[in-house]
Amino acid sequence: EWTAEPVSTGTTIMAVEFDGGVVIGADSRTTTGAYIANRVTDKLTPVHDRIFCCRSGSAADTQAVADAVAYQLAFHSVELEEPPRVRTAARLFQQSCYRYREELSAGIIVAGWDPRRGGQVYMVPMGGLLLRQPFAVGGSGSSYIYGFLDATFQPGMSRSQCQEFVARALALAMMRDGSSGGVIRLAAITEEGVERTVLAGSDLP
Amino acid sequence: SPMVTGTSVLGLKFCGGVMLAADTVGSYGSLARFRGISRLLKVNDSTVLGASGDLADFQHLRQLLEQMVIDEELLGDGHSYSPRALHSWLTRVLYNRRSKINPLWNTVLIAGVYGGESFLGYVDMLGVAYEAPSLATGFGAYLAQPLLRAALERDQERDRLPTREEARELLERCLRVLYYRDARSFNRYEVAVVTEKGVELEGPLTLEANWDVAHVV
Repeated sequence: EWTAEPVSTGTTIMAVEFDGGVVIGADSRTTTGAYIANRVTDKLTPVHDRIFCCRSGSAADTQAVADAVAYQLAFHSVELEEPPRVRTAARLFQQSCYRYREELSAGIIVAGWDPRRGGQVYMVPMGGLLLRQPFAVGGSGSSYIYGFLDATFQPGMSRSQCQEFVARALALAMMRDGSSGGVIRLAAITEEGVERTVLAGSDLP
Repeated sequence: SPMVTGTSVLGLKFCGGVMLAADTVGSYGSLARFRGISRLLKVNDSTVLGASGDLADFQHLRQLLEQMVIDEELLGDGHSYSPRALHSWLTRVLYNRRSKINPLWNTVLIAGVYGGESFLGYVDMLGVAYEAPSLATGFGAYLAQPLLRAALERDQERDRLPTREEARELLERCLRVLYYRDARSFNRYEVAVVTEKGVELEGPLTLEANWDVAHVV
């Protein structure tokens, strides 16, 4: 029964790039089997000041990898004497996820802002592939919204349009996916900083 | 075990060189998840490589190859890896990985022109390697290879290889057949042509499909 199941962030996670930054979002449900272990999880994990990762898959695996990458990035940033590139963070994730691909169950989206290339979104799915994309979705709930995304996404959206796009997509996925639910956590990462919001209950689109 | 995979790669020798073709999709099981991936890699001015199978392993191979090519350029002796040398190297790498029960889950086609001779070789995740005037991986081996071989046989009777245009058309026809019949394929594709002059990568292009038969049935 549920105590034997691994803790998983069966999830919907999403990140969209806009001119000047990124918008990231996730649901807040962590499950062990069918029991909801945490209904207010924060799956948007900072690995640096302006670089976040969205975690899906095994909660333990993704937390461990994220902690390791955060450490490596902090060290690297001190050596570099400037904020690290989002691409570097994504590459660090990819190196761990590819090397230990047989042992890990981790689907990660790395998104953030750096002075060199502005807002960027990188996808590191299970298997350890690294891909840059204008927007990315992941987690079990993502399957239900591919149609919606294909129909609705347009390149060149503004920050508020992106936020609305992410909120609507996540809400739809959470409605249909049993492993996703709770509240929608959003974050907008720009040069100025990180702005976090929570959409709950009646706020959900 | 493979996660995000690419489907068939096709290869064909023609009068003056070799060409490879592959679609641009990365499938996550049955989901066409990543629709803009390039599976053809230009290694140097005389060789291209096309990979099917696990794309994370392909990215790893790409990093290895790029580093090798850089190291070689640093030597500055004017020599670059021949397609045959790369094919041999890749065979060793893939065979040794399989012998450690940790394979790189890829089937690779290597195409190139070196010293006036064109080369087309195949290596798979078990380290099985061979050369032929026409090759295909994955579904292509069942659907496209017969078409390619038939065309080559017809040309062989007249003692020639197909021209560049004929080869290009033939590859497109095969990709169309694969699009009709391979459930993991996609109608966006790339083509790489290698001749004495070098490597040309065309794409991404879109395939036109003919559904007229639907009205007859």
